[in-house]
Amino acid sequence: MSTTIKIDPVTRIEGHARILLDCDENGKIEEAFFCVNELRGFERILVGMQAHTLPQVTARICGVCPTAHHLVAAKALDNACGVTIPEAATLLREYMYMGHVIHSHALSLFVLAGPDLVFGLQGDPIKQNIVGMVEAEPELTKKGLRLRSLGQKINETIGGRGIHPVTAVAGGISFSLSDGQFQRLRELTAEAVILAKELSGRLKSLLMRLFDDNPRLLANLNVPSWYVGTVATDGKLNLYDGRIRAMDESGVIKTEFVADQYIHFLAERAVSHSYAKEVYVDFEGHEHMYRVGTLARLNVVDGLTTPLAQAEFEQFRANFGRPCHNAVIQMYAKLIELLYACERAAQLINDPGLRGENRVPVQFKGGRGVAHIEAPRGTLIHDYEIDEKGIVRAANMIIATQQNTAAINKSLKEGANALLQGAEDEKMLNALEFVVRCYDPCLACSTHAIGRMALAVEVRRDGRIIRELRRN
Amino acid sequence: MSGEKIRLNTEWLCDCGGCHVALVDLHEKILNVLEAVEILKCPVLTDEKGYPEADIGILTGSVRTEHDRHAAVEMRKKCRTIIAFGTCAVYGGLHGAGLAHSREEIMDHVYRHSPSTRTDFIPGNSITSLEKMVTPIDEVIDVDLYLPGCPPHPHFIFEGLTALIENRAPKASQESICAGCRRTMVKTETSAIKEITDGVPDNATCFLSQGYICQGSVTLDRCLAPCPNHGMPCSGCAGPTMQILTEPTRDIRTEIGDRMARLTKIPYATVKEHLEKSAKTHYAYAMATKMIGNKPTFLIRKWIAEGEVR
Repeated sequence: MSTTIKIDPVTRIEGHARILLDCDENGKIEEAFFCVNELRGFERILVGMQAHTLPQVTARICGVCPTAHHLVAAKALDNACGVTIPEAATLLREYMYMGHVIHSHALSLFVLAGPDLVFGLQGDPIKQNIVGMVEAEPELTKKGLRLRSLGQKINETIGGRGIHPVTAVAGGISFSLSDGQFQRLRELTAEAVILAKELSGRLKSLLMRLFDDNPRLLANLNVPSWYVGTVATDGKLNLYDGRIRAMDESGVIKTEFVADQYIHFLAERAVSHSYAKEVYVDFEGHEHMYRVGTLARLNVVDGLTTPLAQAEFEQFRANFGRPCHNAVIQMYAKLIELLYACERAAQLINDPGLRGENRVPVQFKGGRGVAHIEAPRGTLIHDYEIDEKGIVRAANMIIATQQNTAAINKSLKEGANALLQGAEDEKMLNALEFVVRCYDPCLACSTHAIGRMALAVEVRRDGRIIRELRRN
Repeated sequence: MSGEKIRLNTEWLCDCGGCHVALVDLHEKILNVLEAVEILKCPVLTDEKGYPEADIGILTGSVRTEHDRHAAVEMRKKCRTIIAFGTCAVYGGLHGAGLAHSREEIMDHVYRHSPSTRTDFIPGNSITSLEKMVTPIDEVIDVDLYLPGCPPHPHFIFEGLTALIENRAPKASQESICAGCRRTMVKTETSAIKEITDGVPDNATCFLSQGYICQGSVTLDRCLAPCPNHGMPCSGCAGPTMQILTEPTRDIRTEIGDRMARLTKIPYATVKEHLEKSAKTHYAYAMATKMIGNKPTFLIRKWIAEGEVR
């Protein structure tokens, strides 16, 4: 008779996600599931809406990465209309996006993961939050918050709003920058580069300390998988556009494809325990578990196009190899991308093409529009069928977080098997939480600091609870 | 202000998380707020799992699952003042469009008719089931203050929190988006409704004058009007004005129809019919609230069903 262990809830989004472990009679975990308990059904809601509203409506899928949805929807509309947008529009959109990435990565590193870095994984729970951080590391925290604000202000100035931006439309961008706004943006961007450079050293040393202090947890997070991320034509990182590259677990680049071919390379599978579907790379008749996000991107790219980020990337690759399978290293990868986003923003705002004509008229002709972008947490694909009247007839999306679900489940299974037998409750809870958090699955878990989550674990056999683990 | 800090709980129900990010977007002012406020429970900042006694409770998101309902009730029990924060909490929000479709229809679409999905079943085992409808929170608990907006602009968040800290009523105007829009309303000869993809709109003239549907005149300003000032018509994300909400015979489509007919040569009936045909787009954020749904001539399910016929 098998036993089911439920960890409910695993995140601060109580009721939205939890962990379920299925064991055999010897206590060995047969299967582990990270369960997502929420479904809003956007694919259905979008059908029947006017397509031009997609960039605004789909932003509401996620308040944490709204700009990724906003821009990928606009790109899909460009494709559905068959237009090439003016150079200035591409530059403005990518610049808006770099603002968003600065905000998102800085929020993640300084506000969400920050307390773990500053206080360690076994820190005092009372201090382990942003208020405690301001006291313990005032300089790092205030400057980190400032960097996040700069990113959000860049996003807001181009997007009209920071959360749920509005200006990316089919055919380009809906407004032009004033001279005053342009000047202000140049100043904000220059400040972001300086701050990122200044903070990266301290942040890196805190990260390395965390890695050194937790060798056992790290060992359990070395899960080989395929990786998927976006590269420009030169093979280097591009978050806004490019080709989707897939690499196998040994580091061999297996294929590259453009977004509208995704249906041939990615296979979604529903699972009975979660509203989120799993996704696999389909290559030569076999389906492979893969990961997306910062670590996956830095595994697949050949390099970065900005000097500070490239220098740090070279150290990353020298230290951790290609591919790096260790999920916890995504925090380091995020720091490298934060540097890149600041430097890339500076390149873009200083590009003379940025202030040219930025919109062309469009017509819906009836047909599909597919596009992708690298959301902060991984490759994001929007696929629409739009009729000649401009009404959405079908919608499909591959969301970043769901692509990591299979790997999270595998890591949970291995982590739990390594720790379940005879482990203290507290250690097991910490380890399982940490596994989930390392994959940075959107707000659900990225908002958690290890060792601080209130968890309840139920071990059941024949429908009766035989063991209960709890932390409040 | 006394030395005692104001105790704050926040909790999110079914939403995108953006309202909580909006709190962080107080930027430098967040440190001012923290001087006067002690955050006891906040899903992005603290680990509190329970519901401690608090002075202010911010609730974001609408009620979609049993858990959401439970969380709303617990917050009401423990917080002296409850703020329905954001459009989802106040009106149900975008996923309120779920009311136009059955749960089964949504599940079928996502799990059985997705082109990239190779399985053919609907998850069910061990997941909290969805409630039949998306419900704004004041249909579940009593609400003291409403702050719509998708998300509300930090200007209104700061004013709201400061007022509560200083124990006074928040200064919140009842103006529509038009009050903050820099475009000029002019009478034109425009004779047909345009989609935003028809040409490129002029940036100095009111969208309605040019024949583009803009919801600014029927939408409460909780955003400082970024859309019309950035070349985009208002999409109504902060929800309707008090006038629309409180007058039974007036509605988003009748008010825009009236206004557009006065500004252009487009007949009132044409505008009204156009808005009914595109109801899913133009009632997107507030269709789940009874304040709109109970209007005698509001037939959103019929309009949406008709709009989906090819």
